[in-house]
Amino acid sequence: MIVRPRRDDHLVIGKYTGKVLVGVGLLMVVPFVTSLVFAEWDTAVDFLISMMACFMFGFGAQAMCRTTKELGWTHGLVVASGSWIWATLIGCLPLYLSGHEGSYLDAMFDVMSGYTTTGLYLLQDLDHISHGLNMWRHVLTYAGGQGIVVIALTFLFKGTAGAYSVYVGEGRDERLLPNVVHTARAIWLVSIAYLGAGTLALWVSALLLGQEPVRAFLHSLWVFMGAWSTGGFAPQSYNTMWYHSLPHELITSIIFIAGSFNFALHWAVWTGRRREIVRNVETVSFAVTLTLFVLVATFWLAKAGVYPDAMALFRKAFYQLASGHTTTGFSTIYSRAFVTQWGTAGLLAVTAVMGIGASACSTGGGIKGIRVGMIFKSLVAEVRRMVAPRSAVIRESYHHLRENWLEDDAVKSALMVTVLYVFMYSVAGLLGTFFGYDLPSALFEGVSAGSNTGLSCGLTSPSMPDALKCFYIVFMWLGRLEFMSVFALLGYGISIARGR
Amino acid sequence: MTRRLRHLAAAAFALTGLLIVTSPASAFESPNNPSSGGLVEEPKSWDGKTIRFEGEAVGEAMVRGESAWLHLNDDAYMYKNVEEGAPLEGYNAGMPVWLPAKLARRVRVFGDYKHEGDVVRVTGIFHAACGEHGGDMDIHARELEVVLPGRAVADPVVPWKLDLALVLTVGAVSAIAFDRSARRRERVGNARTRR
Repeated sequence: MIVRPRRDDHLVIGKYTGKVLVGVGLLMVVPFVTSLVFAEWDTAVDFLISMMACFMFGFGAQAMCRTTKELGWTHGLVVASGSWIWATLIGCLPLYLSGHEGSYLDAMFDVMSGYTTTGLYLLQDLDHISHGLNMWRHVLTYAGGQGIVVIALTFLFKGTAGAYSVYVGEGRDERLLPNVVHTARAIWLVSIAYLGAGTLALWVSALLLGQEPVRAFLHSLWVFMGAWSTGGFAPQSYNTMWYHSLPHELITSIIFIAGSFNFALHWAVWTGRRREIVRNVETVSFAVTLTLFVLVATFWLAKAGVYPDAMALFRKAFYQLASGHTTTGFSTIYSRAFVTQWGTAGLLAVTAVMGIGASACSTGGGIKGIRVGMIFKSLVAEVRRMVAPRSAVIRESYHHLRENWLEDDAVKSALMVTVLYVFMYSVAGLLGTFFGYDLPSALFEGVSAGSNTGLSCGLTSPSMPDALKCFYIVFMWLGRLEFMSVFALLGYGISIARGR
Repeated sequence: MTRRLRHLAAAAFALTGLLIVTSPASAFESPNNPSSGGLVEEPKSWDGKTIRFEGEAVGEAMVRGESAWLHLNDDAYMYKNVEEGAPLEGYNAGMPVWLPAKLARRVRVFGDYKHEGDVVRVTGIFHAACGEHGGDMDIHARELEVVLPGRAVADPVVPWKLDLALVLTVGAVSAIAFDRSARRRERVGNARTRR
C-alpha cells in the first residue's frame, strides 16, 4: 500500500525548498553588484526583479510552511530534486528579461545547463551581453558545480538532522568530515582556494595574451568558474578558441581536470595524503581511459589528415578529449568541426569519454570513474574465478581513500547506475534521430546533455524543436542528480495521487 | 483501462504538438561568400585560398608582438545588436583573423554590451587548420579596411521593469516580515509548551 504524504511532509519540503530559493536569491547579489559597478542599469534592474522574486517565494514558502517536523530521508531527496526545478524556474528570470533568449523555455534550458554544469546554451548574441549577465551565467555554473543544495547547507541550514539526505540527493555521498554541514563548508573552502589561485594564473596569462587588465580579470574569473565547475560556459561565443594560446589551454586543462576530481580526493591531498592522487581508483581509471581515447582520436585524425603537424594534432585531440572526459565542454574547435573535420570516429571517441565522465562527488557528470573502475575490477575478479581452482577464494579490492574490498552490493549499485546512464544515453540518441538528426550527431549531443558535458556538434541551437529542448533539460537534471532523488520526487508525486 | 488509454492518447497528442513546435531559423544572410558558417562546413574546399571577409570586430584586439588577433562576426548582429533592438536570429558566428598589429589598431570600436563594433573587411588566406597556430581555423590577413564605424549603444531601463521591481520588492519585504513573525510565534509557542 502506498502511504499518502501528510500535511507535515509537504510543509517540511516547502520549508527547505524555500531556504534553497533564498540561497539562489543571495547568489544573484554577485551579478547585481557587477552590473552596478559597470553601470549596466537595465541588467541591474533585471537582477533586482529576480532577487526579489526569489526572496518573495523563498521567505514566503518558509513562512507558510512552519513545522517542527525534521527532514527525513525521502524529504531530503525530494527537496534536492525539487529545488533544482524551482531554482531553474526563478533563476532564469535575468536571462529571460535580458532579451537574449528566444523564449522562457530557452532561458530555463540555459539555467538548468548552468546549474548542472553542462554548458550547452541557447542564449543568442552572447558577444553583446552585459558583464552582469555573463557573471550570472558563470556564478550559476560555479555554484551548480558545488551544488546549490550544498550552498544552502553551508549558509542556511542550522540543524544537521536530515541534512545528509539533501546532500546525497544532489548526487553526492562522500563525507569529508563527520558533520555534513562541515563537509559542505569544506567543499566551499577547497573551491574558493582554487578560485583565487586559478583566477590569478589565468589573469597573468590573459595579460600576456594582450587583454586589458579589467577585461582580463573578468575573463579569467569566468573561465576559472567554467573550468573548475566543469561547466563549459565561456564569456565569448568562440569559447576557448578566443584565446589562441597553448599556455591558456594548459592552465584551463589543469583546472578542469582538478575540478573533475572527487572532493574527498582533494581533501585527502589537502590533509597531507598526496599519494592518494596516484593510487585512487578514479584517477587511475581517468588516466587509462583518457590515454586510450586520445590515442584513438589522434590515430583517426592523423589518418584523415585534418591537422598539419603532430603538435597541432595532439593539442587538439588532447584538449577536446580531456574537456569531454572531465565533462567540461570547453572547446578549441568550432562545434560543427566535430562533424566536418573530426568525422564519425572522432565524434564517437568524444561521445565515449563524455559518457564515462568525471569522478564521483566532483563537479562533473557522467557514469563516473569509480563505477568504471569497480566494474572493470569485478570483471577481472570473475575471470580470475573462472581460471582458479574451485576451492580458491578470489577477492578483489580497489583503492579509494583506503583499500576497500569489492563487495557484491557495491558492484550491483555501480552496475545499476551505469545501466541507467546507458539507458538514458540511448534514449537521448534515439530521440535525436526521431527529430531528424543523424545517429552519431544525435548520440553525441544526447550524451553531452545527459553527462552534463556541454560539447556540441551543432545540433543544439535556438531553432531546435522545443520538445527536444525539454528532453535535454530533463536529461541534464537526471544526469546531475544521478537519478535517485528524481525517482524519489516522482514517487512522492505518485504517493500524493494514489496513496491512502 | 479506457481511462488509462485516454490519458495515454492525450499524452501522445501533447507530445506530437510539442514535436512540431520549433523556433524560426535565422533569415539573415552573411555579406561574405563564403560566410564563416560556409568555411566551417567546407573547410577543405577553402583551405589555403585567399578570401575577402567582412564582419563586426568584437571584444578586443589581442596584440602579440608585431601581430594581433581580431575576431570578426558576420552574423545577424553585425550591423545592429540585440541591445539596440535587433531581432533574435540565432548564435553569433565569425572567424578569428591574424594580422599585423598596425592594421588591428585601425579598429576603434569593438562590439560588446555597450558598443556595436566597427565593421571591417579583411583580405587574407584561410586556414582550415593553421600550422602556425596549433591547428586553429583562421584567416591570415594582409589588408584591412573599416567599412562601417562602430558606435556606442544605449540600453535604457524599461519603465515596466522598474514598476515590477517595486512590486516584487514590496512582496519580498512582506514575505520576510511574515516569516519573521511566524518564527517569533513559533518560538513563543514552543516556550509555552516547555513551561
